Amino acid sequence: MTDQIILEARGVTKVFKGLTAVAEVDYRLIKGQVAGVIGPNGAGKSTFFNLLTGLYTPTEGKVVFFDQDITKVPPDQRVVMGLGRTFQLVSVFNSLTVLDNLVLSITRFTPYYHNKSKFFFADRTNSFIKENCIGAMETVGIQEKKGLKTSGLSYGDKRKLEIAMALSLKPKVLLLDEPFAGLSDTEIDEIVHLINKIKEGLSIVIIEHKVSKLLNLVEKLSVMHEGRLIFEGKPQDAVSDREVRRVYWGEKDESSAIKC
Amino acid sequence: MFKGEKNMARLRRLDFLLIALIYIAFLPVIGKLKLIDFMIFTIFVLSFNLLYGFMGRLSFGHMLYLGIGSYAAALSSVYLSTNPLIIILCAITAGLLVGVILGPVVSRTRGACFALINMAFNQVGYFLVVSACAGITGGEDGLAAQAAPLGFFNLQDSNIMFGFTLFCLIFVFFVMKKLIASPYGVLLKGIKENENRVRFLGYNTYFFKCLTFCISTMIAALAGALWMFNFSYVTPSFIDPGRNVEVVFAALIGGPGSLYGVLIGGGIYMAISNYLASYITRWEMFLGIILLILVFRFPKGLWGVLADKFGKAGKGQVVEK
Ligand SMILES: Nc1ncnc2c1ncn2[C@@H]1O[C@H](COP(=O)(O)OP(=O)(O)OP(=O)(O)O)[C@@H](O)[C@H]1O
Ligand SMILES: [Mg+2]
Repeated sequence: MTDQIILEARGVTKVFKGLTAVAEVDYRLIKGQVAGVIGPNGAGKSTFFNLLTGLYTPTEGKVVFFDQDITKVPPDQRVVMGLGRTFQLVSVFNSLTVLDNLVLSITRFTPYYHNKSKFFFADRTNSFIKENCIGAMETVGIQEKKGLKTSGLSYGDKRKLEIAMALSLKPKVLLLDEPFAGLSDTEIDEIVHLINKIKEGLSIVIIEHKVSKLLNLVEKLSVMHEGRLIFEGKPQDAVSDREVRRVYWGEKDESSAIKC
Repeated sequence: MFKGEKNMARLRRLDFLLIALIYIAFLPVIGKLKLIDFMIFTIFVLSFNLLYGFMGRLSFGHMLYLGIGSYAAALSSVYLSTNPLIIILCAITAGLLVGVILGPVVSRTRGACFALINMAFNQVGYFLVVSACAGITGGEDGLAAQAAPLGFFNLQDSNIMFGFTLFCLIFVFFVMKKLIASPYGVLLKGIKENENRVRFLGYNTYFFKCLTFCISTMIAALAGALWMFNFSYVTPSFIDPGRNVEVVFAALIGGPGSLYGVLIGGGIYMAISNYLASYITRWEMFLGIILLILVFRFPKGLWGVLADKFGKAGKGQVVEK
């Protein structure tokens, strides 16, 4: 089995008005891999995702997806190519019902989108769309909430809805930005279970703050600090890495942190 | 409650009949010519509200698209053909053209910028009509224009005009209703709430914004053509950017979030401007006060208030059981 690189960042840098949020990051995601990215607040993790998915264009460097340079490709096009994501702060449509959130994400990748008379004139509550939506809800376990306004969902359910929406885009790579943040322990377990369930045939990158939740979930862990990748390898090794320990647990020597 | 919702759904399917009945019922009270005016204005509000109520883009220059329709209709009747169908086709084509030309520009903006850029284009259009192209448009005096009868289809007969305008209103309403109930309708609401997020669902939002803009300008132009038929002339007041508040008021009064709200708002605004004006000289002041109350107390408009009172079955959208 050869390891095919599915998503790659080459020397990606992002500078915001003099602040370097991401600095010369080289990153490779291998097909079928579940990878994690951790780092302290402001390390540049979300910015890195935003560069990969096209919310920002890098100041320097390239993003390559399936051997294709997508640095200049707009976000919606990247989604069509198979790059799905969720956001650090759950981002769903609060003004729509739960069902309509899924209608929006699901129809884009069904024949309904390409058959314009259906996309513009078919009743969106028809059985075909509805079955698809309910299937997507069942995957994440929110089917009882389908008629509710999304604004009435708990944060955890919104998170599940967001993941269901991302999955309905039939992505090949799924980028999850802090999927556990703000959730209770049981909800975290549910999301972990969900990720394990969906990872078949998918490549996933998960951003997290703490190593502990990723230890048993990811095959590769990258540690980001001040815009740079300071470690890449097995999650167990990260815990024992000196540099990582210094950034994470014992910053006794402040001056050396500035030097590097 | 469950049964009530089922009944509401059935009622909603026949809503177009209700529209016709209401307008016919008001015939003896308001009069044919005024009601035609009401209906045309409501079509115009529907076109405006597709952008404002559903896509969240407030245009302060929508009179331009109405005016373009009126002038295109008048000019085509003078220079091209007096066949009413050809005139309407020309007006809608003109609306589409202006949508295709301006859409890519205005769709780059949102919020205040969108409102103002539309207004700026409206000003340009007004200037063109009043002075730069006065030789063709008749300048301040406007143009007299008419459609010739086409068999029994004689728009100078007020009965036919009433029937045809009612048909147009119901047709536009029906199309809008379909659009709003479709996946595209959800897409519009998605763009309204968070356009960037919609892009991350794989939609080229720019394209859909341009398209929606064109639909809106076409319908506005249709209203413009009807207006020209109704008055048998066009004047710069048909394209006057200052009159744009009217359509904004109408949408706010009824409730921009729903089609029913727009129908109510269009009717009520026209009633206010027609009747209040004959009792109170500075009636616009009252309109201003009404607007203030609406914006601060009832942002969902009259229909929003009604729908909240009588449960979610009345929201003009299909609610899941
Ligand atoms: N749009 C922006 N404009 C200016 N600065 C930004 C922008 N986005 C991020 N930054 C800055 O870039 C740095 C990295 O931010 P980023 O959100 O990527 O960190 P993070 O690793 O995701 O942190 P957290 O764990 O808090 O989410 C921060 O200092 C942040 O203030
Ligand atoms: Mg972040």
